[in-house]
Amino acid sequence: MTIKTVTVVGANGTMGTNVSAIFASFCNARVFMVSRDIEKSGKAALRAGKTVKADSIIKNLVPADYSMLADCVKQSDLVFESAAENLEIKIGLHTQIGQSLKKGAIACTGSSGLSITRLAECYPEEVRCQFFGVHMFNPPYQLTLCELTASPYSDMQMYAELKEFLTNQLYRTVAESKDLPAFLGNRIGFYFMNEALQYAEKYQDNGGIDYIDSLLGPFTGRTMPPITTADFVGLDVHKAIVDNIYENTSDYVHEKFVLPGYVKRLIDKKKLGRKSGEGLYKLIKNDSGDKRLMVYDIKTGQYRDEIKYSFPFALRMKAFLRDGDYDDAFRELISNRSQEADICLRFLLRYIVYALYTAEHVGYDLRVADDVMATGFTWCPPFAMMEAFSRVCDLGALMKERLKPDILSNVDIDHIIAEQIKSKYDYRIYFKAK
Amino acid sequence: MKKKVYILGGAQTDFERNWTKEGKNMIALLKEAIEDGFKDADFTMDEMVTLNKENRVGAFVGNFIAEQYISQGHLGAFLTEVNPAFYGVPSARYEAACASSSVALDAAISKIEAEEYDVCIVVGWEIMKSVDSKKGGDILGRAAYYEKEGKGIDLPFPKLFGRLADATIDKYGLNQERYLNALATISCINYANAKRNPLAQTRKWFMSYEEASHRGTESNPIVGGLLGVSDCSQVTDGAAVVILCSEKYIQEKGLKDKAIVKGYGHRTAPLLFDKKMADNANSDYVLPWTRQACLDAYRRAELTVDDIDVFETHDCFSSSEFAAISAFGICDPGKECEAVENGVIAFDGAKPINPSGGLIGCGHPVGGSGARMFVDLYKQVTGKAGGYQIKGARNGMMLNIGGSATTNYVFIVGKE
Repeated sequence: MTIKTVTVVGANGTMGTNVSAIFASFCNARVFMVSRDIEKSGKAALRAGKTVKADSIIKNLVPADYSMLADCVKQSDLVFESAAENLEIKIGLHTQIGQSLKKGAIACTGSSGLSITRLAECYPEEVRCQFFGVHMFNPPYQLTLCELTASPYSDMQMYAELKEFLTNQLYRTVAESKDLPAFLGNRIGFYFMNEALQYAEKYQDNGGIDYIDSLLGPFTGRTMPPITTADFVGLDVHKAIVDNIYENTSDYVHEKFVLPGYVKRLIDKKKLGRKSGEGLYKLIKNDSGDKRLMVYDIKTGQYRDEIKYSFPFALRMKAFLRDGDYDDAFRELISNRSQEADICLRFLLRYIVYALYTAEHVGYDLRVADDVMATGFTWCPPFAMMEAFSRVCDLGALMKERLKPDILSNVDIDHIIAEQIKSKYDYRIYFKAK
Repeated sequence: MKKKVYILGGAQTDFERNWTKEGKNMIALLKEAIEDGFKDADFTMDEMVTLNKENRVGAFVGNFIAEQYISQGHLGAFLTEVNPAFYGVPSARYEAACASSSVALDAAISKIEAEEYDVCIVVGWEIMKSVDSKKGGDILGRAAYYEKEGKGIDLPFPKLFGRLADATIDKYGLNQERYLNALATISCINYANAKRNPLAQTRKWFMSYEEASHRGTESNPIVGGLLGVSDCSQVTDGAAVVILCSEKYIQEKGLKDKAIVKGYGHRTAPLLFDKKMADNANSDYVLPWTRQACLDAYRRAELTVDDIDVFETHDCFSSSEFAAISAFGICDPGKECEAVENGVIAFDGAKPINPSGGLIGCGHPVGGSGARMFVDLYKQVTGKAGGYQIKGARNGMMLNIGGSATTNYVFIVGKE
C-alpha cells in the first residue's frame, strides 16, 4: 500500500496534530491538516514537528480549513478523521468525506469506541468498503498501539494491506479488534480505572482517592496510578468512555463501568482533571514556583494535601523491586494479609482475568491483550503479569482463593490458566520501585 | 589466537529503560543482565559454585565511571550482591573509558588462554540517566584529558568528534557537503537498523535523511563543530553480559556449534586530540592506531576483510563510524563517502555495519558498549539476532574505542 497524501480532519486537536505528525514523519506523506480555522491548522503544524522531535516534517504539513475539505479528500490516499468523540459530528464529517473519497483510497476514524459499522454507513455504497477504524493512543509517538477495526462492509484485502502499512510503514503495534464499544485497550484499561474510582468512594473513610492510588502505584506494574491517569485523561473523556461501554455492553463486570456520583459532580462543576487545573487532584503552584499536590477528599468534598501513605506491603515490595528481586516482591504481595495488600492483589488478578476475557470476546487472538496494555497504556500486560506470578505461586489456585464468586461464577479460571502463553513483553520493566 | 576461547552465551538489557526512573539500582541492573546472560548460555549459579570450588571461574566487570554517575566504586565486588554464588569468585573492575568492557573481555580471554580459568563472566554496564545532560557531558569529559580538553567546556566530546570531522575533511580534501551528507546517511542507517532490534533505545524514534542532513535547526541543533544532535550516540542505561569458556569446558559438557574468539587488536593512541592528529601526518589514515588495531586482529585471526560478514562499530558520533570504514579495510582511506553512498555498509550491503543500530540507534551505556557489541557479534554468527540477523554471517568484527579514539579495541568472533 502506498500512501503519499493524507488528510487529517480535526487536525488542531491534540490527537489530530499528533497523528498528522506520525503520517508526515514515518511514511513521509504530505498531510492536509484540516480544522475550522486555517490559522489554527498552521499553528498545529508547527506543534506537530515537536511531537516527533523533527522540524523537517513541517514542510510536509499543509494547513487547510473545512471549506477545502472536499478538495483535500479528493487528492488523498488516506483520510483520517480525528474530530470530537461525538456521533452526530462524526456522522456529518464522514458523510462529507464520502462524497469526495477516491476509489481505492482509505477512509478511517480515530474514534476510541463509536460504532465503526454505523460510521461506514455514512459512505456511498461504492466506497463503503474503504472505511475502517484506526484508533491510536495519546501521545502516539510514545504509545505505538493502533486498534484496527473493520466493518461488515469492509474490503478485507484492503484491510490486510492497511494492517501491513500501519505495522511496517507507520511502525504501529496493530491490535485487531471487533467493532464493539471502546474496542480492546480502553475496555480493559477503563474497567480498571473506573473500578479504582469506585473503590475510592467505597474506601473514602480511609482517604479515598489517594488511598487507592497509593496501593496501585508504579510498583504494581504501571507508570502512573489509575486515578491519576483518569485525571490526566480528563474526567469528561473518562465519563464518555465508561458510559458508552455501560450502555452498550453487558458482560460480567457491567456494573464496574458505572461512574461514581462524586466524579459526576466534579464534571458538573467543570473540574475535569489536569487539563482544567483541578479534578480528582489539584496542582497548586505558589509564587516561588513550588508545586503542591492536593487531592479531592470524597468524604468532605474539599481539596486537601495528599497523604503520604506508607503501607508495609508496598514499602517492602518497593525495596525488593529496587534491588531487582521481583520474585520476593510478588511473594510479599501474595503473603501479606493486610487490607491494602488484599485490595491490591485482587485488583491485579481481576485485571488479568478481564483482560483475557476481553481479548477473547473483542479481539481475534489472546495475545492482543498484551499488545494493547503494553503499548497503549504502558501497564504490565496480562500474560507478562501471569509470568511474574507464576514464578512464585500456583496462579490458578491463587485466583480461585482470592477472587470473589461474582467473577468465579462467570469466568473459567482453568481455561484462562490453560491459555497462558509466553509474553513477548518483559514484566520486569513495568514494576517500578516507586 | 594461541588457544580456543568459546562464547557460551550472552545478553543485553533493554536499552530503552531508565533505571533511575524505575527507581532501581545497579544491583537490579546487574541481576537482570546476569540472569538473562546465564539463561542464554544455559549456565547456572549452581554450576558456578561447583567450578569455583576448584578456582575455575572468574568475573570481569567493565564500567567507566560509576563513581561520578552513582557515587560508587569497587565495582568488581558488587557481583557478590547479585547472588551468593559469586562469593569467592575472583572479580575486578576494568576501565578504559568507553572501551571499558573490551578491556574486561580481553582480561577474561587472556585468563582462558592462559588456562587459569575455564569459565569467565564478563559484565559491562553504565547507569547514565542518574544525572542531567550538562552534568553527564562533563562527566564524560574525563574520558579525554579532563584538565586540558574537558574541564569547563560544555559537551566536550561532541566538540572533539566535531574536530575529527574537520580533520577528516582536511586530510582527504573532501567536499564538506558530501561528507556531511554521508554522515547523515550513517545516522539514518543506524536509526533504521535500530527499528529491527527489540532492545534498541531508539526503536520507536523517528529519523530521516531530511532531518539528519539539516543541522542547525531547533530539532537538530549543532552540538560540536559541524555535527548535529542526529550525529550523536545516546545517553543510555544498560548492561551486557558475555560468558566465555575454555575448550576443556566445551569438551566436558559435550557442547557443539559454539562461536569462538578469532582475534583481537588493542592499541592506544596519543591521549590529546591535537597530538593524535599530529601523529597521523605520515599515515594514510586519520586514526592510524585504530587501523593498526584492526590489522592486528586480522593477523591474529588469519583472516582478511573479505572474510568478515558483519561489523559492529563505535559510532559514538557519525564521524567515528566514518573513520572506522577504512580502518576495517572496507575501503581505502579517503574513499569512505563512496562506501556509504553505494550502500556497502547498509543492512543489505556487502559489508553491513551496526545491524543492531550501533551506539546511535541501539544506545551507548559507555562502560557496557564493548560487551554489547560482542554479544551482537555472537548473536550474528550463531543465527540468534532475530529481526536484525545478517543472513549467513560466519565472522563478525567489532571496534570499540575509548576517549577520542585513544583506546582502540577490536575483536573478531566467528564460527569455529
